[in-house]
Amino acid sequence: MMGVRVAEDKCIGCKICIYACPEPNVIKLTDSKKVTIECIKCKSCLLCVSACPKKALTKDEA
Amino acid sequence: MSNRIITPVKEFEDLLPQEYKDLVADGPFFAEKGVDDLGTFKEIMEQHPHCAGCGEALGMRLVLAGLPTPQDTLIIGTPGCSFFGLAQTALNYSNTAFGNQNAVASGLKRMLQIRYPDKHKDVVVMVGDGGIADIGLDYTLHSWFRKEKITTIMLDNEVYGNTGGQESGMSKEGKVLNMAPTGKKFPKIPVFELAKTSGCCYVAKVTIASPKKIGKVIRRAILIAREIGPTYVQLFTPCPTNLKFAPDQTLKVAKEAEKDYYPFEEFISDDAAAYLAKVEQAKGDGKS
Ligand SMILES: Cc1ncc(C[n+]2csc(CCOP(=O)(O)OP(=O)(O)O)c2C)c(N)n1
Ligand code: SF4
Ligand code: SF4
Ligand code: SF4
Ligand SMILES: [Mg+2]
Repeated sequence: MMGVRVAEDKCIGCKICIYACPEPNVIKLTDSKKVTIECIKCKSCLLCVSACPKKALTKDEA
Repeated sequence: MSNRIITPVKEFEDLLPQEYKDLVADGPFFAEKGVDDLGTFKEIMEQHPHCAGCGEALGMRLVLAGLPTPQDTLIIGTPGCSFFGLAQTALNYSNTAFGNQNAVASGLKRMLQIRYPDKHKDVVVMVGDGGIADIGLDYTLHSWFRKEKITTIMLDNEVYGNTGGQESGMSKEGKVLNMAPTGKKFPKIPVFELAKTSGCCYVAKVTIASPKKIGKVIRRAILIAREIGPTYVQLFTPCPTNLKFAPDQTLKVAKEAEKDYYPFEEFISDDAAAYLAKVEQAKGDGKS
């Protein structure tokens, strides 16, 4: 499956990835100020991965 | 549309799809949302068939998040890739024959002013660079000359994306495209400058690499069009498929363009500036 994995320990909740994703309602901020990604709607463009300043996102190869 | 129309009838509430229920409970209709709030509310655009990494899809997503009152907004489109995303959006939306968008928008705005004299109905044109700078240029300019109270947004990907890569008037000089094999022979058409001299009272140029600026200029453009006159926003939304870069490079391409030839610019007429100062002060926003 396509998708992106979030390393929660690295994510600072800055939302830059959310402003970078061309797909609506895919990356969400949780109550604990980390992001979650609904991979079933993700097109694996990897714009969020390139945009994240903390390298908290990686392509999910699984 | 209005919040009254969006509100489900009690008896049928359970039958509605989850996406609709989410929009009512958690969308931007009953509680005002902006670009800053993305990731924490249900967006009005749904899954769409734009290519991976499409700058235009990202641009539309940001513009839609910036609409001040989506429930009272009417979007006018025209052929081009943007109709993929717009057709998936929970808004009043009308397509038009290619290039006719500003003529149709003018008529709809006038009709809405008659039908709802005490209410703002925002008429917003959102179409591609080919739709504005080439086939629709005459209708666009004339709507500005006539001072129609509409907002025009160009999604400038510098190519005819939807039909496989013909050059547009907004393509860069020298650009080689699938169907411009020897390169474009003249510079980008100065639509931004034309807007300033043709009657627009607010004009802004921005790229998808500056999401918060998009939120700010869309809000300004729409508020000013309510009271003062026509407004224009030119948004750089590069197309990985036809400009031939990898989909994860879209924002890098936009950022470089911002430095190189697509800097942020804003023009505002004196009467629009006075009006804006009044509404931004009243709301305590407008900070940048
Ligand atoms: C009158 C007419 N001529 C030609 C077309 C074919 N056509 C559809 S979209 C398009 C180009 C759109 O380019 P642009 O406005 O830049 O939008 P983009 O697809 O790049 O977003 C053309 C030529 C049409 N639909 N109608
Ligand atoms: S850009 Fe990176 S650090 Fe910022 S919210 Fe997204 S994943 Fe977290
Ligand atoms: S890879 Fe692309 S589509 Fe998937 S979450 Fe990241 S930005 Fe969105
Ligand atoms: S062709 Fe270009 S503008 Fe059209 S959907 Fe694909 S990436 Fe977006
Ligand atoms: Mg185009």
